[in-house]
Order: sequence, then structure tokens, then C-alpha cells
Amino acid sequence: MLDFLHDILPLKNIIFRTALRIVLNREEAEDIVQDILVKMWEQRNELEKVNNLEVYALRAARNLAIDRMEKMDNRHVSLNSNVHDRPDSEAAGGDALLAKKEADLFIADTINALPEKQRTILQMRDIEGKSYKEIAEVLSITESDVKVSLFRARNELKEKIIEKKQLFL
Amino acid sequence: MDYKYIEQLLESYFDCRTTLQEEQILRSFFSQEDVPGHLAEYADLFNYEVEAREEVLDEQFDERVLAQIKQSDKPKARSIRMRTRHFAPFFKAAAVVAIVLTIGNAAEHAIGEHAAEEDNVMAIDPYTKASDVQQVIRVKDMSQQAKTQTKNDSIIGITTQDERQ
Repeated sequence: MLDFLHDILPLKNIIFRTALRIVLNREEAEDIVQDILVKMWEQRNELEKVNNLEVYALRAARNLAIDRMEKMDNRHVSLNSNVHDRPDSEAAGGDALLAKKEADLFIADTINALPEKQRTILQMRDIEGKSYKEIAEVLSITESDVKVSLFRARNELKEKIIEKKQLFL
Repeated sequence: MDYKYIEQLLESYFDCRTTLQEEQILRSFFSQEDVPGHLAEYADLFNYEVEAREEVLDEQFDERVLAQIKQSDKPKARSIRMRTRHFAPFFKAAAVVAIVLTIGNAAEHAIGEHAAEEDNVMAIDPYTKASDVQQVIRVKDMSQQAKTQTKNDSIIGITTQDERQ
């Protein structure tokens, strides 16, 4: 018998981060997590048979997030507006901290500018530390497809990092 | 210090040939304070990867979800909602019939009273001229017609409502 606090609620953060990487909007991502968790609880009897609950949850979350992302595009909601706290000149707690924030923002913006499939795969591999097998299951593609997308994502990042370095030389 | 190993790992990372464990080694390496200059530009990337994992939902979120879970667990509320939905068309039809009948009755009653008043006028005044009496009779006829009309209207009203159902 599935227990909500023990089996379902602990998935909230990985679902949140994965959905956030797709919709790039905190409220929308939070809403998706809530929907997925409640739906899973309502279907708990059927979910007894599912052997990897996390893969199941992430697949459902991604599908819902893509759906919401398309709806937001139609409503012309500006993406990326409240994903990160933009560093403002007044709140600088020392130059080092500001530089760190700007560096994070640069990487985050570069990842978020990738196509959805690439950024979701990069999120799952490099941030969540998932295996190629699990990622392939979540996206319903082959493991070699996962690697192709990951290769493109990582090399786009590399290119942007080198570009930035040359700009400051 | 020799950084050959890290350089190799980095190359493998961008070729997607690293294992999860090796990727963890890279993140640990770049999290240290003194990363050599020629590798420093990649520190931002691996540090971001670590920090991005710290993005979590707070306890207020838990409370909201738990409240919603409790709500959906109440079997009583669900069964009542279903029953109401099931019988809703009948309630609607009954309400429409009741309204039509009430209006019909009220109209009939108002006209009937009016006609009764005319009767009284005739009964009280014995000196009414023949032409006046005729007029009163005509008025009575008209009110009779109006009564029948109202009844027909209410019947038509009900029929239309039934068809719509």
C-alpha cells in the first residue's frame, strides 16, 4: 500500500526542478508538482504495479509541463522572468558574491535557452545525476538518443563558456 | 600538480563518455577554492550544477498538498456531488414547471377577481341601462377569453420545456 508522506511527497523536489526547467516559471512549476502528486495519490491503487515511481512521476510531470509551456506561449507570458533573482547593483554583498551570481546566471540562461529536450536531459543527467536508462524511460526515447541530445547541450555550453572567456581577455 | 586526469575527464565529459561517478569527481574538483587558471572557466558550470540541485519546495507547499489530499479522500463529499449531478436535469425541469404553473395561476386569479368585480357592479346597480349591461357582458366575455388564453399559454410552455429536455 502506497503511503503519501513516505512514497509520493518525497518526489516533490525532483519533479519541481524538472518542471521548472521546462516552463521556466516558478508558480507554474509549483502548480504542476501539486497536480502530479494529487493525481498520483488518487491513482495509488494502480500505481502499486509501477516499479519505478520516480520515472513515472517525471514522465507525467514533463508531459504536463510541455502542455503548460505551450499554453503560456500562446498567452505570450514572458518566460524566464522570475526563475532567478536578478542581481541588482544595490544589493551587492561584496564584489565576489555579485560575480558568483552573475556567473550562475550566465550558465542558467545558457541552459534555459537550449531546446526543451536538451535542457531536460541536461537537467536530469548533470543536476539530478540520473542514468541514461532512466532518462530514456522518462522521455520515451532510446539511450543513444539521450546521448546525442546531451552531447549537443554540453557542447553548446562549452562553446558559450569559451566565447565569454575570449570576450573578457 | 598534474591535472592530466582532470583534463581527460573534462574531455570525456564533453564527449558524453563519463560515468556518473566520474562526473561527480569533476563537480568535487571544481568546487575547491584554487582551480588552476586554464580550467577556471569550467568552474562556473560545475558549481552551477551542484547549486541547481538545492532548489527545493518549502513546508507551506506540503501543507497545501496535504490539505488537497484530505479533501479528495472524503468519500462522503464525492457521493453527494455525484448524486446531485445525476438528478440535476429533473430538478431543473421540475423548477421550470413550477414557475410556469405559478405564473399561470397568478394570472388566472388576477383576471378572475377582475371579472368578479364587474359582476358586483351589475348586482348593486339595478338601474343600469340595457346598453351598459351589454358592455359589461362583453367585458366579461373578453376576460373569459383571456383566461382560456392564459391556460393554453401555460400548457404550451410546459410542452416546450419537455421538448428541450
